[in-house]
Amino acid sequence: MRPYTFTQSRSVSEAVADAGADTAFLAGGTTLVDLMKLDVMTPARVVDINRLPLHGITLDRDGLHIGALERMSDVATHRTVRQHYPMIAQALELSASAQLCNMASIGGNLLQRTRCGYFRDVTTACNKREPGSGCSALTGVNRSHAILGTSDACVATHPSDLAVALVALSAVVHLASARGTRTVPLDEFYALPGTTPHVENVLRPGELITGVSVPRSPWAGHSVYVKVRDRQSYEFALASAAVALELRGSTVAQARIAVGGVGTRPWRLTEVERALTGRPATPDTFESAVGGAADGARPLAHNAFKPALLRRTLVRALTVLQERR
Amino acid sequence: MTNSPVGREIDRVDGRLKVTGAAQYSADYPAPGTAYAHVVTSTIGRGTITRIDAGAALASPGVLRVYAAPDPRLKLYPVAPQFRGLVENYAPLQDTAVRFHGQVIAMVVAESVEQARDAAALVTATYDAQPPRTSLADEPRVPAGPTVSGSPSNLTILAPGVESIDAALAASDVVVEAEFHQPVQHHVAMEPHATLAVWDGDRVTVHAGAQIPPAYALLLSQRLGVLPQDIRLISKYVGGGFGARVVVWSDALVAAAAARELGRPVKLVLTREQMFTLVGHRPHLTQIVRLGASRDGVLNAVSHESDAEMPVVGGFNVTPAHATSDTLYRTPNLRVGPRQVILDLPGSRAMRAPNEAPGAFALETAMDELAVATGVDPVELRLRNYATVSPATGLPWSSKHLDECYRVGARRFGWSRRHATPRARVDGQWLFGVGMATAVYPATRHPASVRVRLLDDDTAVVSTATADLGTGGWTMVAIAGADALGIPLKRVTPEIGDSALPQGAPAVGSSATHSTVPLIVGAAREAIAALKQLAVTDPRSPWHGANAEDLRYEEGRLRAHGRSMSFGRLLTALGSRGVDATASGPGGAPAGYAYHSFGAHFCEVRVNRFTCETRVTRFTTVADVGRVINARAARSQLVGGVIFGIGYALLEENPLELDTGRLAGSTLADYLVPVNADIPDIDVHLLDRPDPLLIGPLGDDGGEVGTRSLGARGLGEIGNVGSAAAVGNAIFNATGIRVRDVPITLDKLL
Ligand SMILES: Cc1cc2nc3c(=O)[nH]c(=O)nc-3n(C[C@H](O)[C@H](O)[C@H](O)COP(=O)(O)OP(=O)(O)OC[C@H]3O[C@@H](n4cnc5c(N)ncnc54)[C@H](O)[C@@H]3O)c2cc1C
Ligand code: SF4
Repeated sequence: MRPYTFTQSRSVSEAVADAGADTAFLAGGTTLVDLMKLDVMTPARVVDINRLPLHGITLDRDGLHIGALERMSDVATHRTVRQHYPMIAQALELSASAQLCNMASIGGNLLQRTRCGYFRDVTTACNKREPGSGCSALTGVNRSHAILGTSDACVATHPSDLAVALVALSAVVHLASARGTRTVPLDEFYALPGTTPHVENVLRPGELITGVSVPRSPWAGHSVYVKVRDRQSYEFALASAAVALELRGSTVAQARIAVGGVGTRPWRLTEVERALTGRPATPDTFESAVGGAADGARPLAHNAFKPALLRRTLVRALTVLQERR
Repeated sequence: MTNSPVGREIDRVDGRLKVTGAAQYSADYPAPGTAYAHVVTSTIGRGTITRIDAGAALASPGVLRVYAAPDPRLKLYPVAPQFRGLVENYAPLQDTAVRFHGQVIAMVVAESVEQARDAAALVTATYDAQPPRTSLADEPRVPAGPTVSGSPSNLTILAPGVESIDAALAASDVVVEAEFHQPVQHHVAMEPHATLAVWDGDRVTVHAGAQIPPAYALLLSQRLGVLPQDIRLISKYVGGGFGARVVVWSDALVAAAAARELGRPVKLVLTREQMFTLVGHRPHLTQIVRLGASRDGVLNAVSHESDAEMPVVGGFNVTPAHATSDTLYRTPNLRVGPRQVILDLPGSRAMRAPNEAPGAFALETAMDELAVATGVDPVELRLRNYATVSPATGLPWSSKHLDECYRVGARRFGWSRRHATPRARVDGQWLFGVGMATAVYPATRHPASVRVRLLDDDTAVVSTATADLGTGGWTMVAIAGADALGIPLKRVTPEIGDSALPQGAPAVGSSATHSTVPLIVGAAREAIAALKQLAVTDPRSPWHGANAEDLRYEEGRLRAHGRSMSFGRLLTALGSRGVDATASGPGGAPAGYAYHSFGAHFCEVRVNRFTCETRVTRFTTVADVGRVINARAARSQLVGGVIFGIGYALLEENPLELDTGRLAGSTLADYLVPVNADIPDIDVHLLDRPDPLLIGPLGDDGGEVGTRSLGARGLGEIGNVGSAAAVGNAIFNATGIRVRDVPITLDKLL
């Protein structure tokens, strides 16, 4: 760990006042402190934001609003969330461990860093950590890496489960900086690695996430998050699917789908959504609709199984929803 | 004694200390003036260090020393010939050679843990790198050395007139040939390896987790160049060994040497990342098993060959057929041939059932394949090939109730409801399957000494330098002491984990309990004899002048001539603090027999129909381990072993980068072991049949002290043997897919 200054802010304006590229906001610290100990993140200033009033889980006419400092466990167990947005609760419940979820915040979750082992080991080359140094994962161990949205510079997955569910439900993030506030659709928040994998999102230096809003929809209440991994708990996804269906009778009226564990960012699958719309909710429909889900995938030496796993995860999630009806 | 604790469900005597945090592990000990160390490790797989830049680290706050290879100030000696093969074969920080990725190349010592860690991050090194040899498939092979029990590891037994094992296989009706692969696995003990070294002149006290405290002290003294009697190793509470704490690793050597050079106590705690390269691993290996049998499954030939990694710095010599293929089944033709492949990898070490876990995975999977090929039920197949004498040695067993394990296990599990055809049971999203396998583990007794002291407060102290790795050693010593002396458990004070105590049994090879217990019995008997002697010779004793043979000892009291007195009262009356006696035993067991524990595993899994991940839903293990000393601890050991087996089958793997020699996994988030959610209730049943030939070094029980002929065998590792095969066989039954490369992850079943 490198020396840094530590301050605690009491208001959003105070927190963002002179925050810049060298500043890291401290929420639960489950990503930040971990990576500082590994010398992967070396902020000169750490600003504790835990006293900021970024709380509250509310449902109104527009939808669900969650403060950036709400803890993962509080959101996961919230009755409104469980009832109206089950996939959000499930995505959180299937994340990390109970202890971590008691600490970790919603804002921090969306900004957690990749679990690529080379990113976390400062003795190896990694373009995301050290632009231009190379990507060790291309020739190294890459079983858990992405197949969609990758570039020659970086093939790391975005690890958040919550973000996958939020992208499926067209959530937006509210941001604040010294220049004012703005709202960005989460699907446009994350950047593809391209040649600049160290740029992970559209957040400006010193900009703060203040909250997340998820619109009301006829499908959010009939949704599921399926997470596939080697062990039953306490592991990131090899593949995950956030699926919401609006069914009329036995016909799919609307579908919203995003997948995790396979993309360099949470990956919305609008093609699959379209292929389901207006079709009977049957195994045949599901099989054919997911046929192209992994189109354009660029598998690596150790993750050639991911296109097939992705398709099957989707069929599994669709089947769960159809059976639950 | 009617209410002996032996065989009951006894709580850990150290349980309260552990859950309240009062039990001190190595890193918990304070020492005035302690300085803190942090090591820096190599980032190439093989080569030479050309330069280490320690300037920035030295200038960093609180830094006292930076030791960079080669640093003669540390004064570490090469391994003495008698210890070669037992420890890594180089002296750390004494030359510029890089032998593996993740080797110690420098160490920072500072006033605080944080200062040492932060300064260590500033040390940089340049190398003259060479490509490391990492390929098990491509590097040259050499025959493996002798097995852990000293027998030759290469063995061929042929029936009269049979020319070769190949000929025997060719002449068999049914042949199964299968190749198995197991990657690098790690002990991942919960407690990080920690060393605190405190010098006092030429004498040093070291706090470090050790499975064999006296041997650890001896190895350390040689490397430091001090006399064996000048080193004391304290290892009272240990957070897991699993084989990684059998020997002295480079961390303890450099910490102790630095403390001497600096003239201050030095504490070094490895990080989790460092533990993946500095304190051993289970060597990766390939095995080929060939079975030849008649159409009804009677074996005619068993062949078991293997290629295992042997790190250039030394490591564990894996002989996977040892106690598995050379032991389990009757066969007229047997060939076992382990080989080694020298690679530039971190030092390896025995890891839980080091030969038997991999060996049984291969053999017991192949047996399942033979069951499929012949259409014989897997339990029946094993009974048809049941061995009554060891196939390798021709010796009968001291005691063997494996057939009963199969039958009791099958009944408890409901094996008869199994569908022989794969994919026959589907429930919703899940395919269900069942599988079984055999467990076996050699019973070896090691030399040890135990001292029993009877004190004037009516308590007894039982002392021996064995170790409790979390396994229940403290409690075992207390139970056996209480039983041997016929007094309540709470009046026995166990003393272990200190090399200054009488030489204890190693906590390795599932042998600590059955090596120690007979000597506790022996020492108790001698202590009672000493008490009687005192009673008849001391003028203040009521039995002064009586004949020692007339005194009876019962439940903590001496009785004779119408009088009875507790030993405490007698000692008080005589003004004596206590009497003691020490018993020593050479280990071993009566010749002419084979000694093994046995068991049978039955497993049910479900495999997701869509995404193919496997979850274990039921597990039954029945084991024949001789006498059970503590039913609770015994069950825990078996359950722990089965969990290890589930991890072996489904999760554990550290991927090796062939071009760099780097082990890719370095945290418990990417080196996966089972979590609670992966483990169902595990049904463990122990037959509790005392082994009639393991009744202690002193022959018969002598009639007066407790249960004496305890007849215990080992049970620490046997749960780990065969359990992975039971999981894999269940996966085959569920899916029809046979996976011979562990871990059996979902991508192999898609
Ligand atoms: C062992 C382990 C397992 C895990 N498993 C999972 C899993 O299965 N699924 C999953 O989704 N996650 C998992 N996580 C990640 C975990 O969810 C994140 O670490 C956590 O959500 C981060 O939240 P935090 O509040 O602790 O963030 P912090 O560590 O405090 O911050 C993370 C980053 O976000 C920045 N930041 C925090 N809050 C704000 C804000 N309001 N505005 C702007 N910047 C901000 C910080 O500066 C920092 O860069 C795991 C983590 C660990 C350690
Ligand atoms: S995949 Fe991305 S994060 Fe991983 S090593 Fe390559 S550049 Fe770094």
